[in-house]
Amino acid sequence: MGRHPALKVLTVLVAIVPLAGGIARAAALVGETTHMRAESVPVSALSQLKANYRQPDTIPFPPSDPYTPEKALLGRMLFDDTRVSGAGGLACASCHNPAFAYGDGLAKGIGAGLKPLDRRSPSIVNGAWGVLFMWDGRASSLEEQASGPIEGPREMNQPLDRLVPVLAKIPEYQSLFAAAFPRRKMTPETIVSAIATYERTIVSGVAPFDEWIEGDEAAIPDAARRGFTLFNTKAGCASCHGGWLFTDDGFHDTGLPDDDLGRGQLFPRVVMMRHAFKTPGLREVASRGPYMHDGSLPTLEAVIAHYNLGGRDRPSKSELMTPLGLSADEQADIVAFLRTLTSSIRPSVIPTLPR
Amino acid sequence: MRINLLIRTAVLVLLSSGAGAADHLVHQKGRAFSVATMTVARGEPVVFENDDTVPHNVMSTTPENAFDLGSQMPGNSTPVTFDRVGVVAVICAIHPRMHMTITVTN
Repeated sequence: MGRHPALKVLTVLVAIVPLAGGIARAAALVGETTHMRAESVPVSALSQLKANYRQPDTIPFPPSDPYTPEKALLGRMLFDDTRVSGAGGLACASCHNPAFAYGDGLAKGIGAGLKPLDRRSPSIVNGAWGVLFMWDGRASSLEEQASGPIEGPREMNQPLDRLVPVLAKIPEYQSLFAAAFPRRKMTPETIVSAIATYERTIVSGVAPFDEWIEGDEAAIPDAARRGFTLFNTKAGCASCHGGWLFTDDGFHDTGLPDDDLGRGQLFPRVVMMRHAFKTPGLREVASRGPYMHDGSLPTLEAVIAHYNLGGRDRPSKSELMTPLGLSADEQADIVAFLRTLTSSIRPSVIPTLPR
Repeated sequence: MRINLLIRTAVLVLLSSGAGAADHLVHQKGRAFSVATMTVARGEPVVFENDDTVPHNVMSTTPENAFDLGSQMPGNSTPVTFDRVGVVAVICAIHPRMHMTITVTN
Protein backbone atom coordinates (compact mmCIF):
# COMPACT_ATOMS: atom_id res chain seq x y z
CA MET A 1 0.00 0.00 0.00
CA GLY A 2 2.35 2.74 -1.20
CA ARG A 3 1.74 6.43 -1.00
CA HIS A 4 0.67 8.12 -4.19
CA PRO A 5 2.52 11.42 -4.75
CA ALA A 6 -0.14 12.73 -7.12
CA LEU A 7 -2.67 12.54 -4.36
CA LYS A 8 -0.60 14.60 -1.93
CA VAL A 9 -2.43 17.65 -0.84
CA LEU A 10 -1.22 20.47 1.33
CA THR A 11 -3.88 21.15 3.88
CA VAL A 12 -3.42 23.10 7.06
CA LEU A 13 -0.02 24.44 8.05
CA VAL A 14 -0.78 26.04 11.34
CA ALA A 15 -3.44 24.98 13.77
CA ILE A 16 -4.72 27.78 15.88
CA VAL A 17 -7.70 26.04 17.30
CA PRO A 18 -9.00 27.57 20.48
CA LEU A 19 -11.48 25.26 22.11
CA ALA A 20 -14.49 26.24 24.12
CA GLY A 21 -13.20 28.07 27.15
CA GLY A 22 -9.69 27.29 25.98
CA ILE A 23 -6.73 29.30 24.90
CA ALA A 24 -6.22 31.77 22.09
CA ARG A 25 -3.29 29.99 20.49
CA ALA A 26 -2.51 26.32 20.27
CA ALA A 27 0.94 24.81 20.58
CA ALA A 28 0.30 21.83 18.34
CA LEU A 29 1.25 22.07 14.68
CA VAL A 30 -0.71 20.18 12.07
CA GLY A 31 1.44 19.17 9.13
CA GLU A 32 0.91 18.05 5.58
CA THR A 33 -1.85 15.56 4.90
CA THR A 34 -0.96 12.76 2.52
CA HIS A 35 -3.26 10.27 0.87
CA MET A 36 -2.56 6.62 0.33
CA ARG A 37 -4.45 4.42 -2.05
CA ALA A 38 -7.23 2.86 -0.09
CA GLU A 39 -7.23 -0.89 0.04
CA SER A 40 -10.20 -2.16 -1.82
CA VAL A 41 -12.52 -3.49 0.80
CA PRO A 42 -14.22 -6.57 -0.56
CA VAL A 43 -17.84 -7.01 0.30
CA SER A 44 -17.79 -9.57 3.05
CA ALA A 45 -19.47 -12.85 2.49
CA LEU A 46 -23.00 -12.86 3.85
CA SER A 47 -22.13 -15.29 6.62
CA GLN A 48 -19.32 -13.02 7.81
CA LEU A 49 -21.64 -10.03 7.69
CA LYS A 50 -24.22 -11.85 9.75
CA ALA A 51 -21.63 -12.57 12.44
CA ASN A 52 -21.23 -8.82 12.99
CA TYR A 53 -24.87 -8.56 13.99
CA ARG A 54 -25.18 -11.33 16.56
CA GLN A 55 -26.65 -10.26 19.91
CA PRO A 56 -24.50 -10.64 23.03
CA ASP A 57 -25.57 -13.07 25.75
CA THR A 58 -25.21 -10.82 28.77
CA ILE A 59 -25.98 -7.25 29.78
CA PRO A 60 -22.96 -5.21 30.88
CA PHE A 61 -23.26 -3.47 34.25
CA PRO A 62 -20.47 -1.11 35.36
CA PRO A 63 -18.39 -2.19 38.38
CA SER A 64 -19.28 1.15 39.97
CA ASP A 65 -22.99 0.34 39.81
CA PRO A 66 -23.48 -3.43 39.66
CA TYR A 67 -26.81 -5.16 39.15
CA THR A 68 -28.91 -6.36 42.02
CA PRO A 69 -32.56 -7.36 41.68
CA GLU A 70 -33.44 -5.06 44.59
CA LYS A 71 -31.94 -2.04 42.82
CA ALA A 72 -33.64 -2.90 39.55
CA LEU A 73 -37.01 -3.30 41.33
CA LEU A 74 -36.65 0.06 43.05
CA GLY A 75 -35.53 1.66 39.78
CA ARG A 76 -38.57 0.31 38.03
CA MET A 77 -40.85 1.86 40.64
CA LEU A 78 -39.11 5.21 40.36
CA PHE A 79 -39.14 5.04 36.56
CA ASP A 80 -42.93 4.70 36.50
CA ASP A 81 -43.68 7.10 39.35
CA THR A 82 -45.05 10.54 38.45
CA ARG A 83 -44.25 11.76 41.96
CA VAL A 84 -40.60 11.92 40.87
CA SER A 85 -41.39 15.11 38.92
CA GLY A 86 -41.74 18.54 40.50
CA ALA A 87 -45.43 18.95 39.68
CA GLY A 88 -46.19 15.26 40.18
CA GLY A 89 -47.48 14.73 36.66
CA LEU A 90 -44.56 13.28 34.69
CA ALA A 91 -42.67 10.03 35.08
CA CYS A 92 -39.61 8.83 33.20
CA ALA A 93 -42.07 6.47 31.51
CA SER A 94 -44.11 9.41 30.22
CA CYS A 95 -41.48 10.01 27.53
CA HIS A 96 -39.97 6.52 27.57
CA ASN A 97 -43.16 4.57 27.32
CA PRO A 98 -42.86 0.80 26.83
CA ALA A 99 -45.95 0.95 24.61
CA PHE A 100 -43.87 3.02 22.14
CA ALA A 101 -40.67 0.95 22.42
CA TYR A 102 -39.59 3.25 25.27
CA GLY A 103 -40.09 6.45 23.27
CA ASP A 104 -43.27 8.51 23.24
CA GLY A 105 -44.46 8.37 19.65
CA LEU A 106 -44.27 12.16 19.35
CA ALA A 107 -42.16 14.41 17.15
CA LYS A 108 -41.06 16.41 20.20
CA GLY A 109 -41.09 15.36 23.84
CA ILE A 110 -43.58 16.98 26.19
CA GLY A 111 -42.11 18.57 29.29
CA ALA A 112 -43.20 20.55 32.32
CA GLY A 113 -46.50 22.36 31.87
CA LEU A 114 -47.23 20.17 28.83
CA LYS A 115 -44.90 22.36 26.77
CA PRO A 116 -43.06 20.76 23.86
CA LEU A 117 -39.33 20.22 24.17
CA ASP A 118 -36.75 20.87 21.47
CA ARG A 119 -36.00 17.29 20.45
CA ARG A 120 -37.68 13.94 20.10
CA SER A 121 -37.61 11.64 23.12
CA PRO A 122 -35.06 8.95 22.30
CA SER A 123 -35.78 5.33 23.09
CA ILE A 124 -33.83 3.97 26.04
CA VAL A 125 -33.85 0.36 24.83
CA ASN A 126 -30.38 -1.22 24.98
CA GLY A 127 -28.95 1.78 26.84
CA ALA A 128 -26.74 -0.61 28.83
CA TRP A 129 -24.34 -0.66 25.88
CA GLY A 130 -24.32 3.12 25.35
CA VAL A 131 -21.20 5.28 25.50
CA LEU A 132 -22.60 8.80 25.69
CA PHE A 133 -26.24 9.63 26.27
CA MET A 134 -28.75 12.23 25.08
CA TRP A 135 -28.94 13.31 21.43
CA ASP A 136 -25.92 15.57 21.96
CA GLY A 137 -23.97 13.13 24.15
CA ARG A 138 -23.80 15.46 27.12
CA ALA A 139 -24.27 12.63 29.66
CA SER A 140 -21.43 10.16 30.04
CA SER A 141 -23.31 7.46 31.96
CA LEU A 142 -26.86 6.22 32.39
CA GLU A 143 -26.70 7.52 35.97
CA GLU A 144 -25.91 11.01 34.69
CA GLN A 145 -28.54 10.64 31.99
CA ALA A 146 -31.18 9.69 34.54
CA SER A 147 -30.60 12.84 36.56
CA GLY A 148 -30.80 15.20 33.56
CA PRO A 149 -34.51 14.99 32.69
CA ILE A 150 -35.58 14.73 36.34
CA GLU A 151 -33.80 17.95 37.25
CA GLY A 152 -34.27 19.79 33.94
CA PRO A 153 -36.53 22.81 34.53
CA ARG A 154 -38.29 22.24 31.20
CA GLU A 155 -38.68 18.53 31.80
CA MET A 156 -39.57 16.96 35.15
CA ASN A 157 -38.33 20.01 37.02
CA GLN A 158 -37.43 18.32 40.28
CA PRO A 159 -33.94 18.86 41.75
CA LEU A 160 -32.83 15.52 43.15
CA ASP A 161 -32.03 16.95 46.58
CA ARG A 162 -35.65 18.08 46.78
CA LEU A 163 -36.88 14.72 45.56
CA VAL A 164 -35.24 12.89 48.48
CA PRO A 165 -37.62 14.26 51.16
CA VAL A 166 -40.59 13.67 48.84
CA LEU A 167 -39.76 9.98 48.54
CA ALA A 168 -38.72 9.70 52.19
CA LYS A 169 -42.28 10.46 53.23
CA ILE A 170 -43.50 7.32 51.46
CA PRO A 171 -42.91 4.39 53.88
CA GLU A 172 -42.70 1.68 51.25
CA TYR A 173 -39.97 3.58 49.40
CA GLN A 174 -37.95 3.63 52.60
CA SER A 175 -38.02 -0.15 52.77
CA LEU A 176 -37.29 -0.47 49.04
CA PHE A 177 -34.25 1.80 49.39
CA ALA A 178 -33.09 -0.10 52.49
CA ALA A 179 -33.26 -3.37 50.54
CA ALA A 180 -31.52 -1.93 47.48
CA PHE A 181 -28.83 -0.01 49.36
CA PRO A 182 -28.29 -1.71 52.74
CA ARG A 183 -25.30 0.45 53.63
CA ARG A 184 -26.38 3.71 51.98
CA LYS A 185 -29.10 6.23 52.50
CA MET A 186 -31.73 7.60 50.19
CA THR A 187 -29.72 10.23 48.26
CA PRO A 188 -29.64 11.70 44.77
CA GLU A 189 -26.91 9.16 43.95
CA THR A 190 -28.89 6.12 45.08
CA ILE A 191 -32.01 7.38 43.26
CA VAL A 192 -30.23 7.60 39.90
CA SER A 193 -28.30 4.39 40.57
CA ALA A 194 -31.58 2.51 40.94
CA ILE A 195 -33.10 4.09 37.82
CA ALA A 196 -29.98 3.41 35.75
CA THR A 197 -29.86 -0.20 36.94
CA TYR A 198 -33.46 -0.71 35.88
CA GLU A 199 -32.83 0.99 32.53
CA ARG A 200 -29.95 -1.39 31.83
CA THR A 201 -32.37 -4.30 32.08
CA ILE A 202 -34.49 -2.91 29.21
CA VAL A 203 -33.06 -4.81 26.26
CA SER A 204 -34.28 -6.04 22.93
CA GLY A 205 -35.49 -9.60 22.66
CA VAL A 206 -35.13 -11.89 19.70
CA ALA A 207 -36.26 -10.31 16.43
CA PRO A 208 -36.96 -12.11 13.14
CA PHE A 209 -33.65 -10.71 11.95
CA ASP A 210 -31.87 -12.53 14.81
CA GLU A 211 -33.57 -15.79 13.87
CA TRP A 212 -32.38 -15.28 10.31
CA ILE A 213 -28.75 -14.68 11.23
CA GLU A 214 -28.95 -17.80 13.40
CA GLY A 215 -29.88 -19.80 10.33
CA ASP A 216 -33.67 -19.72 9.93
CA GLU A 217 -33.87 -18.65 6.29
CA ALA A 218 -37.65 -18.35 6.43
CA ALA A 219 -37.57 -15.88 9.34
CA ILE A 220 -37.50 -12.80 7.13
CA PRO A 221 -38.88 -12.14 3.64
CA ASP A 222 -36.82 -11.92 0.48
CA ALA A 223 -37.19 -8.14 0.38
CA ALA A 224 -35.64 -7.84 3.84
CA ARG A 225 -32.73 -10.03 2.83
CA ARG A 226 -32.09 -7.82 -0.16
CA GLY A 227 -32.47 -4.81 2.11
CA PHE A 228 -29.83 -6.17 4.50
CA THR A 229 -27.35 -6.47 1.65
CA LEU A 230 -28.13 -2.94 0.45
CA PHE A 231 -27.84 -1.67 4.04
CA ASN A 232 -24.28 -2.98 4.14
CA THR A 233 -23.23 -2.09 0.61
CA LYS A 234 -24.76 0.41 -1.81
CA ALA A 235 -26.75 2.36 0.75
CA GLY A 236 -23.82 2.57 3.18
CA CYS A 237 -26.11 2.56 6.22
CA ALA A 238 -23.73 0.26 8.10
CA SER A 239 -21.00 2.91 8.05
CA CYS A 240 -22.79 4.42 11.04
CA HIS A 241 -25.47 1.84 11.85
CA GLY A 242 -23.20 -1.22 11.92
CA GLY A 243 -22.99 -3.94 14.58
CA TRP A 244 -25.69 -5.73 16.52
CA LEU A 245 -26.99 -2.47 18.02
CA PHE A 246 -26.93 -0.79 14.61
CA THR A 247 -25.02 2.25 15.85
CA ASP A 248 -21.45 3.54 15.95
CA ASP A 249 -22.35 5.52 19.08
CA GLY A 250 -21.06 8.49 17.10
CA PHE A 251 -22.20 12.00 16.20
CA HIS A 252 -23.00 13.11 12.67
CA ASP A 253 -24.69 15.96 10.85
CA THR A 254 -27.05 14.11 8.55
CA GLY A 255 -28.14 17.26 6.76
CA LEU A 256 -31.56 17.82 8.25
CA PRO A 257 -32.64 21.41 7.58
CA ASP A 258 -33.06 22.55 11.18
CA ASP A 259 -30.93 25.01 13.15
CA ASP A 260 -30.28 22.87 16.23
CA LEU A 261 -26.51 22.78 16.79
CA GLY A 262 -26.67 19.48 18.67
CA ARG A 263 -23.24 18.37 19.85
CA GLY A 264 -21.90 21.62 18.44
CA GLN A 265 -23.23 23.32 21.56
CA LEU A 266 -20.64 21.33 23.53
CA PHE A 267 -17.86 21.71 20.91
CA PRO A 268 -18.64 25.09 19.33
CA ARG A 269 -15.34 25.36 17.45
CA VAL A 270 -15.32 21.84 16.01
CA VAL A 271 -16.96 22.20 12.63
CA MET A 272 -17.97 18.56 12.27
CA MET A 273 -19.90 18.65 15.54
CA ARG A 274 -22.25 21.42 14.43
CA HIS A 275 -25.71 19.99 13.82
CA ALA A 276 -24.31 16.58 14.82
CA PHE A 277 -26.49 14.16 16.77
CA LYS A 278 -25.94 10.72 18.18
CA THR A 279 -26.49 7.80 15.85
CA PRO A 280 -29.48 5.97 17.29
CA GLY A 281 -29.52 2.20 17.34
CA LEU A 282 -32.08 0.64 15.03
CA ARG A 283 -33.46 -2.23 17.04
CA GLU A 284 -37.22 -1.76 17.51
CA VAL A 285 -37.00 1.11 15.00
CA ALA A 286 -40.31 0.32 13.30
CA SER A 287 -42.09 0.81 16.64
CA ARG A 288 -40.72 4.19 17.52
CA GLY A 289 -41.45 6.75 14.85
CA PRO A 290 -41.51 9.60 14.09
CA TYR A 291 -37.82 9.74 13.37
CA MET A 292 -34.62 11.76 13.67
CA HIS A 293 -33.60 14.02 16.54
CA ASP A 294 -36.27 16.55 15.60
CA GLY A 295 -39.03 14.07 14.80
CA SER A 296 -39.32 15.66 11.36
CA LEU A 297 -39.63 12.44 9.36
CA PRO A 298 -42.86 10.58 10.02
CA THR A 299 -42.07 7.19 8.51
CA LEU A 300 -39.18 4.86 7.77
CA GLU A 301 -39.89 5.44 4.08
CA ALA A 302 -39.31 9.19 4.60
CA VAL A 303 -36.07 8.46 6.47
CA ILE A 304 -34.66 6.34 3.66
CA ALA A 305 -35.75 8.96 1.11
CA HIS A 306 -33.84 11.60 3.10
CA TYR A 307 -30.65 9.54 3.10
CA ASN A 308 -31.12 8.74 -0.58
CA LEU A 309 -31.09 12.46 -1.40
CA GLY A 310 -28.07 13.15 0.80
CA GLY A 311 -29.33 15.93 3.04
CA ARG A 312 -28.69 19.64 3.13
CA ASP A 313 -25.15 20.71 2.24
CA ARG A 314 -23.18 22.65 4.84
CA PRO A 315 -19.60 22.46 6.16
CA SER A 316 -20.52 20.19 9.05
CA LYS A 317 -22.43 17.62 7.02
CA SER A 318 -20.94 14.15 7.29
CA GLU A 319 -18.83 13.16 4.30
CA LEU A 320 -20.85 9.95 4.32
CA MET A 321 -24.03 11.85 3.45
CA THR A 322 -24.02 11.72 -0.33
CA PRO A 323 -26.84 10.91 -2.74
CA LEU A 324 -27.20 7.15 -2.90
CA GLY A 325 -29.05 6.57 -6.14
CA LEU A 326 -31.36 3.98 -4.62
CA SER A 327 -34.35 2.97 -6.71
CA ALA A 328 -37.84 2.93 -5.21
CA ASP A 329 -37.65 -0.87 -4.95
CA GLU A 330 -34.28 -0.72 -3.22
CA GLN A 331 -35.60 1.82 -0.72
CA ALA A 332 -38.58 -0.43 -0.03
CA ASP A 333 -36.22 -3.38 0.50
CA ILE A 334 -34.26 -1.47 3.15
CA VAL A 335 -37.47 -0.55 4.95
CA ALA A 336 -38.51 -4.21 4.81
CA PHE A 337 -35.20 -5.12 6.44
CA LEU A 338 -35.63 -2.50 9.17
CA ARG A 339 -39.03 -3.96 10.00
CA THR A 340 -37.38 -7.27 10.86
CA LEU A 341 -35.59 -5.62 13.81
CA THR A 342 -38.73 -5.53 15.94
CA SER A 343 -38.29 -8.04 18.73
CA SER A 344 -40.50 -9.85 21.15
CA ILE A 345 -39.35 -7.34 23.73
CA ARG A 346 -40.32 -8.42 27.22
CA PRO A 347 -43.84 -7.18 28.02
CA SER A 348 -43.90 -4.49 30.66
CA VAL A 349 -46.32 -4.85 33.55
CA ILE A 350 -47.12 -1.57 35.28
CA PRO A 351 -46.12 -1.99 38.91
CA THR A 352 -48.28 -1.07 41.88
CA LEU A 353 -46.40 1.90 43.25
CA PRO A 354 -45.47 2.49 46.89
CA ARG A 355 -47.87 4.47 49.05
CA MET B 1 4.28 39.04 6.77
CA ARG B 2 1.66 36.29 6.42
CA ILE B 3 3.59 34.66 3.59
CA ASN B 4 6.77 34.71 5.70
CA LEU B 5 4.91 33.02 8.51
CA LEU B 6 3.57 30.37 6.15
CA ILE B 7 7.02 29.71 4.66
CA ARG B 8 8.62 29.46 8.08
CA THR B 9 5.90 27.14 9.23
CA ALA B 10 6.15 25.03 6.09
CA VAL B 11 9.90 24.64 6.63
CA LEU B 12 9.25 23.65 10.21
CA VAL B 13 6.68 21.10 9.11
CA LEU B 14 8.98 19.64 6.45
CA LEU B 15 11.85 19.41 8.93
CA SER B 16 9.61 17.77 11.45
CA SER B 17 8.14 15.20 9.07
CA GLY B 18 11.32 13.22 8.59
CA ALA B 19 12.45 9.86 9.82
CA GLY B 20 10.74 10.21 13.17
CA ALA B 21 7.30 10.26 11.61
CA ALA B 22 7.02 6.52 11.22
CA ASP B 23 8.05 6.00 14.82
CA HIS B 24 4.88 7.56 16.15
CA LEU B 25 2.10 6.30 13.96
CA VAL B 26 -1.48 6.08 15.18
CA HIS B 27 -3.83 3.90 13.14
CA GLN B 28 -7.60 4.28 13.27
CA LYS B 29 -8.80 1.03 11.73
CA GLY B 30 -12.02 -0.40 13.13
CA ARG B 31 -13.00 2.89 14.78
CA ALA B 32 -10.23 2.54 17.34
CA PHE B 33 -6.86 4.19 17.93
CA SER B 34 -4.13 1.58 17.62
CA VAL B 35 -2.54 2.67 20.90
CA ALA B 36 -4.03 3.95 24.14
CA THR B 37 -0.94 5.88 25.22
CA MET B 38 2.17 7.21 23.53
CA THR B 39 5.18 9.24 24.59
CA VAL B 40 6.90 11.66 22.23
CA ALA B 41 9.53 14.34 22.58
CA ARG B 42 8.50 17.91 22.04
CA GLY B 43 8.58 18.69 18.31
CA GLU B 44 8.50 15.03 17.22
CA PRO B 45 5.64 14.35 14.82
CA VAL B 46 2.82 11.96 15.61
CA VAL B 47 1.18 10.76 12.42
CA PHE B 48 -2.55 10.05 12.52
CA GLU B 49 -3.38 7.67 9.70
CA ASN B 50 -6.99 7.02 8.79
CA ASP B 51 -6.77 3.44 7.62
CA ASP B 52 -10.43 2.91 8.47
CA THR B 53 -13.39 2.85 6.08
CA VAL B 54 -15.10 5.97 7.45
CA PRO B 55 -13.99 9.58 8.11
CA HIS B 56 -12.64 10.44 11.54
CA ASN B 57 -12.16 13.78 13.31
CA VAL B 58 -9.02 13.51 15.43
CA MET B 59 -8.57 16.39 17.86
CA SER B 60 -7.10 17.33 21.20
CA THR B 61 -9.20 18.36 24.16
CA THR B 62 -6.13 19.70 25.97
CA PRO B 63 -6.07 23.50 25.46
CA GLU B 64 -2.28 23.72 25.85
CA ASN B 65 -1.78 21.39 22.89
CA ALA B 66 -4.95 21.98 20.91
CA PHE B 67 -5.46 20.78 17.35
CA ASP B 68 -8.36 19.65 15.21
CA LEU B 69 -7.81 17.67 12.03
CA GLY B 70 -11.42 18.12 10.95
CA SER B 71 -12.93 15.43 8.79
CA GLN B 72 -10.03 13.15 7.88
CA MET B 73 -11.00 10.90 5.02
CA PRO B 74 -9.99 7.24 4.74
CA GLY B 75 -6.52 6.96 3.27
CA ASN B 76 -5.25 10.26 4.66
CA SER B 77 -2.32 10.66 7.05
CA THR B 78 -1.55 13.86 8.92
CA PRO B 79 1.41 14.64 11.21
CA VAL B 80 0.96 16.70 14.33
CA THR B 81 3.76 18.08 16.49
CA PHE B 82 3.42 19.31 20.05
CA ASP B 83 5.39 22.24 21.44
CA ARG B 84 4.36 22.07 25.04
CA VAL B 85 5.31 19.42 27.56
CA GLY B 86 2.44 17.59 29.22
CA VAL B 87 -0.28 15.04 28.71
CA VAL B 88 -2.51 15.57 25.67
CA ALA B 89 -5.98 14.02 25.54
CA VAL B 90 -6.79 12.98 21.97
CA ILE B 91 -10.23 11.93 20.80
CA CYS B 92 -12.19 11.35 17.65
CA ALA B 93 -14.97 13.90 17.92
CA ILE B 94 -17.23 11.66 15.83
CA HIS B 95 -16.64 8.33 17.58
CA PRO B 96 -16.53 8.59 21.39
CA ARG B 97 -15.06 5.13 21.88
CA MET B 98 -11.84 6.49 20.31
CA HIS B 99 -9.62 8.19 22.85
CA MET B 100 -5.93 8.10 23.77
CA THR B 101 -3.33 10.19 25.55
CA ILE B 102 0.01 11.44 24.30
CA THR B 103 2.67 12.41 26.82
CA VAL B 104 4.94 15.14 25.45
CA THR B 105 8.38 15.24 27.05
CA ASN B 106 11.39 17.52 26.76
